[in-house]
Amino acid sequence: MATRDKIYYTEGLPVPETPDLGTQPAFWKKTDLVGKPIPRVDAYERVSGTAVYPSDILLPNMIYAAILRCPHPHARVKKIDIAEAGKMPGVRAVITGDSKEAKGVKWKYRDMEVPLFDSHCRFEGEVVAAVAADSWYQARDAAQAIKVDYEVLPFVVDYERSLDVSVPRVQEKGNLLSEDTYSRGDVEKGFAEADIVLEQTYHTQCELHTPLELHGCVANWDGDRLTVWESSQGVFAVQSRVAEALNLPLSKVRASGHYMGGGFGSKLWPGKYTVISAMLARKAARPVKMLLSREETYLCAGNRPAGTMRIKAGVRKDGTITAIDFDCIGPSGAYPAGGVQLVDWLARDLYLCANVRTRGRDVLINAGPARPFRAPGHPQGAWALEQMIDELAKAIDMDPVQLRLKNVPLKSQAREGTPPYTSTGLRQCLEKGAEKFDWQASLERIRKFNEQNNHLRRGIGMGACLWVAGGGGPPSTVVIKLFRDGSINLNMGASDIGTGTKTIMAQVAAEELGVQPAIIQIENADTATTQYATPSGGSKTVPTEAPTVRNAAIALKQELLAAAAEDMEVPEDELEYIGDEIIWSRDAAKRLRITEVSRLKKRGVMIGTGYRGPNPADKVVNPFAAHFCELEVNILSGEINIIRFLGVHDSGRVMNRMTFDNQVYGGIVMGIGFGLTESRQLDERQTGRLCNKNWHDYKLPTAMDVPLEITSLPIELDDPESNNTGAKGLGEPVTIPTAAAIANALCMATGVRFTRAPVSPMEVVRKLSERKEG
Amino acid sequence: MLPKFSYIRPDKLDQAVAQIQAGNAAIHAGGTDLLGCLRERIIKSEKIVSISGLEKLRGVRETVEGGLRIGALTTITGMAEDPLVRKKYPGLAMAASEVASPQLRNQGTLGGNLCQKPRCWYYRGEFHCLRKGGNQCYAIEGENQFHAIFGHDNICVITHPSDTAPVLSALGAKVQVIGPGGGRNIAVADLHVPPRDDVRAETVLDQGEIITHVDIPPPPAGLYTSYRKVRARRSWDFALAGAALALVMDGDRVVRASIVFSGAAPVPWRSREAEQALAGNTLSDDTIDKVCRAATAGAKPLRENRYKVPMFRGMLEEELRKARLQEKA
Amino acid sequence: MEKNDHDDKQGNGYSRRGFMQFIGVGAGVVGASLLSPPLRRPLKAEDVGTIFPASEMVKVRLAVNGTVHAVLVEPRWSLLYVLREIIGMTGTKIGCDRGECGACTVLIDDVPRYSCMTLAVEAENRTITTVEGLMKGEELGPVQTAFVETDAFQCGYCTSGQIMAVEGLLRKVESPSPEEIRLGCSGNLCRCGAYPNIFAAAGKAAQLKSK
Repeated sequence: MATRDKIYYTEGLPVPETPDLGTQPAFWKKTDLVGKPIPRVDAYERVSGTAVYPSDILLPNMIYAAILRCPHPHARVKKIDIAEAGKMPGVRAVITGDSKEAKGVKWKYRDMEVPLFDSHCRFEGEVVAAVAADSWYQARDAAQAIKVDYEVLPFVVDYERSLDVSVPRVQEKGNLLSEDTYSRGDVEKGFAEADIVLEQTYHTQCELHTPLELHGCVANWDGDRLTVWESSQGVFAVQSRVAEALNLPLSKVRASGHYMGGGFGSKLWPGKYTVISAMLARKAARPVKMLLSREETYLCAGNRPAGTMRIKAGVRKDGTITAIDFDCIGPSGAYPAGGVQLVDWLARDLYLCANVRTRGRDVLINAGPARPFRAPGHPQGAWALEQMIDELAKAIDMDPVQLRLKNVPLKSQAREGTPPYTSTGLRQCLEKGAEKFDWQASLERIRKFNEQNNHLRRGIGMGACLWVAGGGGPPSTVVIKLFRDGSINLNMGASDIGTGTKTIMAQVAAEELGVQPAIIQIENADTATTQYATPSGGSKTVPTEAPTVRNAAIALKQELLAAAAEDMEVPEDELEYIGDEIIWSRDAAKRLRITEVSRLKKRGVMIGTGYRGPNPADKVVNPFAAHFCELEVNILSGEINIIRFLGVHDSGRVMNRMTFDNQVYGGIVMGIGFGLTESRQLDERQTGRLCNKNWHDYKLPTAMDVPLEITSLPIELDDPESNNTGAKGLGEPVTIPTAAAIANALCMATGVRFTRAPVSPMEVVRKLSERKEG
Repeated sequence: MLPKFSYIRPDKLDQAVAQIQAGNAAIHAGGTDLLGCLRERIIKSEKIVSISGLEKLRGVRETVEGGLRIGALTTITGMAEDPLVRKKYPGLAMAASEVASPQLRNQGTLGGNLCQKPRCWYYRGEFHCLRKGGNQCYAIEGENQFHAIFGHDNICVITHPSDTAPVLSALGAKVQVIGPGGGRNIAVADLHVPPRDDVRAETVLDQGEIITHVDIPPPPAGLYTSYRKVRARRSWDFALAGAALALVMDGDRVVRASIVFSGAAPVPWRSREAEQALAGNTLSDDTIDKVCRAATAGAKPLRENRYKVPMFRGMLEEELRKARLQEKA
Repeated sequence: MEKNDHDDKQGNGYSRRGFMQFIGVGAGVVGASLLSPPLRRPLKAEDVGTIFPASEMVKVRLAVNGTVHAVLVEPRWSLLYVLREIIGMTGTKIGCDRGECGACTVLIDDVPRYSCMTLAVEAENRTITTVEGLMKGEELGPVQTAFVETDAFQCGYCTSGQIMAVEGLLRKVESPSPEEIRLGCSGNLCRCGAYPNIFAAAGKAAQLKSK
């Protein structure tokens, strides 16, 4: 092969064949860049301090906003006096429900429309008034100087009591928001056929997202056009919600957020604060920065609702699960927000079972509305189901891994028509995971360890899961621009919420175009400069955007081939794109460098547009996983020391091994918090207010609470049917079975079943002393 | 956000005393507790007197008698890592290293650790509780899993947050104080105020008084010290149940025992019952069992913190077994 | 803005001084002559040291990454607020503004501290190092490089604080053990849960620094 001059940064990497117009690209058999542990394309910016997050934005003349929030879980605003606040130093604008700007401005909780400033405050932290002032301190001073007369109303914050007849109504229609049921087969018959039937009630506590970057934005008007820099998982969701609230055309609202400091679902859409910032900026005629305080985010930026789950299950001695009956109740908060959303999904769909019945009751309480939180419903459902599976295994004297292996589904039983999965890696997750974890030998080792009978007891445990989504899908539009010097710009609407989306997309484009990922400049998450994308969440960003990026790259190549065909005067279908050159397949001597293509030279740019195609009809794309945990319990003090963790994940093709492993570690760490330390505490018996609205009283796992040994084992199955890259979602399954695996290990270590999450040392000591006394 | 205040940085200790005495001033040493208290409007001072620059109040020094004198501005890290502290009173170094987080230990001072305000979430939150001049302790009927089981008298059920105070109390240390009326010293054991004496005060210090240093008596022969802290997470957390031990051993016999609990009561809680059950005995299984039972015999747990009774027992049992092992080694 | 004359002392000179101050084991630091016998003479109220009134903006000089910034502040303003919103150095992040997350960690005299819990007026006459100060021109410092190579972050928002905590640890302990690393990082939350990679980064940074 003749040596070619390198243009610019092309490395002469092998390039996949360019499909003809209208045909689907072939599934990559082997990849050169995709899958490699390539450091992030934006790592430099993030570690040097130069990445500008929305909270870092500084604009000339910018002022600061603060919100006054209702201190009661339920109250009516009778009178607001802003006279004093308005006269305070530095104050530029004050807005309340009485202000003319606020008239008619609405906010939506799902289908329920309410005034943005609602005098009927149904949760602690509801907005009452807002101020903008020269300094952040002055804004807070002024907000505190606003005088409000409240009519304090009776409240309910205990969701398990919210349906009692005597409790106050959160909304006029009553506190039962919805009751969903599902049924297949005949559960009673299933129980009758079982050798063992067990029943248990499990609880999980309310978990708060608390991303490190505060919720907030900077809002600025340029004439009648509004720009909002928001810490967001989806700038197009910010654009549409703000445009709707302020009655502006989409074209007049620009939402941008090139970087964002974590969301976990709580930043899928903007908040009332976003609209209020825009209103304050208009009134003050100044750019406004609004960052909620950390305490405010605890009150009004969403949560994973607490849940009570009763599960009854039957099993035969051969491991056949004959019936599952699952009932759950959980709170949306004060407005519709999915209080039991998907909590029953694993009970419905994770294991083979002919007879399943579920019921979910979503109730209202006087507390901040939920928002989707990393794998909504699933960690809760896994907490109940995966512990129950272990109990069933024990009851029939079967290894818990084996019982799960006996019940691996190849079809989605809970969906209409029981469609097959494009791939089910659950079996491999269980088998390879048990092998890697040394499950059998560990059982023996730990039995011996515990026979020493000192105050330290060890246990191993595991849990498995699937994630209901994770296949991605339309819509998404991506544009790849080729500049006349051969350099490339990838233009994508999706946010990189820390999962490595930008890096993976650079790898995908580079793979298809035969260049190094580092030279692809990514423009993303800006409604003015990029194309429509749905928010980054649901573990769907990679399986949505990666095929779209690939399609865009292919479209660009096709455009290049068509243009080169004119220059070279040969038929287009006889040309081949090989990265920096286009060659004639009949005579390799006839070739044209892409920078010499006259259409590119004349226009200065060539564009490839990719659209996300549909998912396979009648098939389901879901990721699967299994987690394995070893821990040690101090039965005197109740302290739990997690010794090692293994996360085994079938998420289709591994797109970047480094960011893949990082997701697995992160999901496990978050699961440790869910299982061991995190719990929103409301003052249920007295004021209904939140007790722990800070990171000291609401306890995230620290560096000391995670094991030094966390291992990630990908199960990489070819899944050509899922999409043209074979990638399935990862960001959510990584945290689903974690807490349940811990609970199962705890049960082995102590002989006690911990049904309430989180299992703090308090809970361990409590349960162990109950057993002693009992 | 912090409210407005004026800020005064005296160059000398006497200036500081004069400034603190005058008006409603608060002392800024490391500032780690003060700024939080100002932010939560727990301390409503409009004048902050910073003594952080008074270098003479910083550092650890051996006294002629063989004890230690620790300057009140010595950082918690400074204490945890000080070779003299580690050698003479390992339990104190252990306690210091268990305080808060590394950054807070780098900034927080010994004086501040002794004088810090309680961490009760009602007291710190927007609840006008008894300790803040209201008429009710919310924690008694409320969410009290982190609260006291001793010494609360059903008045105010906070737990004292300090990790160093229990050890210093067990060691018989004294704080040296300077104030407008002159100097005085106060046993650490007498520094903190139980709710029945005054529910609004945490220490016996008068307005204008500053702790300048802490004197620890020389370690007697056979002294064994330790500090143990059980908490909900392993960094950045206060004690669910903690214990400082200062045992004077003669062979395997405990001659004298000081046992002071953290996370137990509104003040560092000296368990005289446990001390009496231990003193004069060898650390046998039987003794340990008796000591642990004695330690919690007088506990008055609340609705959500009954777990503390077995937790204190279990934790103390483990600590006493450790002491036994150590003595045998 | 003026150039700090300590600029060229960023290396060992400064580190050592900070270290000694911090350990503070110098003999006789508690002056017995000053403290005992107790002070009994009447005090003069005008004899006060430095006063910054509540309602006025006061000038403070902050030495940040070798440059002295003279800024007007309110006494209540945190160092974090001044760094980010007044000086405009936004590498240092705000996460809680109450000393509970570590995103705002900076080095003060080489020691990691929370800049949200440090008043700007308290930071006068101290040496402040932020994440921007670890750069050599546009080149990353060794801790930053290690964070890139081990993928020690996800969203990146806690990262500058984590980097400063590790930097502070390595200025004190050249090659920390895994447990020392864990302790050194235990004042910085990472909600994305990248802790395992942060530990790896700290280990790698120690190697890079020793080269």
